[in-house]
Amino acid sequence: MSRTTLMLRLVRAEFYKLRTTSTWWIFTLATLVSTTVMLIVDCVNANSLLKPFDQYVALEAHGHGGRPIPAEFLAHMRSEWELGHSAVTQATTIYTAGQLIGVLLACLLGIVLITSEFHQQTATTTFLLTPHRDRVVAGKLGTAVGMAFLSWLLSTIISVTTGAIFLHHLGYGTQLGNAGVLRAIALNLAAYAIWAVFGIGFGALIRSQLGATVSATVLYLIGATAAASVFELIYTYLIPKSWILAAQVVVPAVASTVMISPTKTFDQSPPQWVGAAILIGYGILAGVIGTQILRRRDIA
Amino acid sequence: MDDGRIVVSALTKHYRGVTAVDDLSFTVEPGRVTGFLGPNGAGKTTTLRMLLNLVMPTAGTATIGGRRYLDLPEPDRVVGAVLEASSAHKGRTGRNHLRACCLTTGLPLTRADEVLDLVGLGPAADRKVKGYSLGMKQRLGIAAAMLGDPQVLILDEPANGLDPEGIRWMRQLLQGLATNGRTVLVSSHLLSEMQALADDVVIVAAGRLVRQGAVADVLASMGGDHRVRVSTPETEKLTAALAGAGATVTADGPGSLVISGVTAAAVGDTALAAGVPLHHLSAESPDLEDVFLDLTHAKAAIR
Repeated sequence: MSRTTLMLRLVRAEFYKLRTTSTWWIFTLATLVSTTVMLIVDCVNANSLLKPFDQYVALEAHGHGGRPIPAEFLAHMRSEWELGHSAVTQATTIYTAGQLIGVLLACLLGIVLITSEFHQQTATTTFLLTPHRDRVVAGKLGTAVGMAFLSWLLSTIISVTTGAIFLHHLGYGTQLGNAGVLRAIALNLAAYAIWAVFGIGFGALIRSQLGATVSATVLYLIGATAAASVFELIYTYLIPKSWILAAQVVVPAVASTVMISPTKTFDQSPPQWVGAAILIGYGILAGVIGTQILRRRDIA
Repeated sequence: MDDGRIVVSALTKHYRGVTAVDDLSFTVEPGRVTGFLGPNGAGKTTTLRMLLNLVMPTAGTATIGGRRYLDLPEPDRVVGAVLEASSAHKGRTGRNHLRACCLTTGLPLTRADEVLDLVGLGPAADRKVKGYSLGMKQRLGIAAAMLGDPQVLILDEPANGLDPEGIRWMRQLLQGLATNGRTVLVSSHLLSEMQALADDVVIVAAGRLVRQGAVADVLASMGGDHRVRVSTPETEKLTAALAGAGATVTADGPGSLVISGVTAAAVGDTALAAGVPLHHLSAESPDLEDVFLDLTHAKAAIR
């Protein structure tokens, strides 16, 4: 039997295992809810950002009670508006609305695929049926990427349909003919897939389900902010060279942001491919080390 | 599959500071039920898991039909194993658990229904495993092991959680499989059950081999201390007659004697010759429990 047949069989079995537990609908529900919430947030933001500046200020500052807006704050608002006042930018944001939580979910699913074998004590059955443990990991990798694709597809269908109607209705056009917009949607898929790979590696590396999911979530949600502060401190007090600030791309959460955003995410941010390469690198590294550990682990 | 012989050779497993299995070697023959006996902590589970590539040996090898488990191209067609009560996801139904196994190894899904019937779990097939009793989980584990119709069956303490009816069912199943030429290796600390089930025994204690052989041979090798118990109203007269025949006689309550050193037939003949009426005569063979306790007595179970 060929390796491909074997892999397809393992992936099919893993999908079946997912479908026959609650993980399946929890994951689907989480994808739906997070996409919907982020879509609403992004549409509301786009609605005001795409307006002329005075209307934008009126919309954003309507809670200010008619008092004059301080000049400093007004300047801040103008830079925000200038950054976001583009139908292409807003279309990109709206069409990839599910991403912020979606890639985290893809990562968590990867983690759960591996760690639930130990958490649910099914590892004995799994490794009896497939004693070559690297094949088990490879099968789960394929499954995680497949699930990431489905999640991206679901999220994108919702975002693009709703977003296109929304943008068209406001008179900005759907922007679906724009190459930059389409590339962003495609890169979004890459982000889902890469985070799923990262999740598999992370799950193989950290045996505890709770430990792995919590640390991955924390790393993802506050990683970028924490990294920005730490690298800023290093820059200010230790090494005042601008490459230090660019180097924060080594943090997975930062790498992910850099990879998917067509514009600069911070002043020294390196090109998109650097972010992608770093994230894939982490995924492979975690996967290889995790698989090596898993191969030697006693299943007792 | 031409040969289902299990060969364990100088197998050793060190855990931090503890030698769970210590230079253990034995063979298990096809066509027989082999009992793998030892007190708790003797290293039985560790040995079985090393045989199945779940625990990595520190030294030594274990093969099934001449190959390591890892090197079997389709392990589920060669070996079926029941190691812990089913090891199925609690939120999945029994049928779905078996179907997932079928998909993993490329068996048709209908095979799941066949083994469910084989173990009598059909009525509970669509219930989630978390609602199963321990006995039902054992049956599910046996069902999963039987999916690939394997030549070799390995079971770790399968009687745990089974009721007497379940134990009888399992005994018949395993003996039937051995009669068909399959290799059946069953670990247990329930010695009385092994005596009724096994053809051969491998006895381990403290990670080391204590004795291996056919059940009858192992019993005989223990000195074969066969005893005869009789009841008679004339104990003194019979004691005197038996002493003349070279027997050792001890009183065991009023009207009852326990005799050793002669056969039951000799006791009956002596009584007849002496004109002593016998109300009861029975031959008692030493049971495996006694042998086992003697054999493993010196080794500490907890190390």
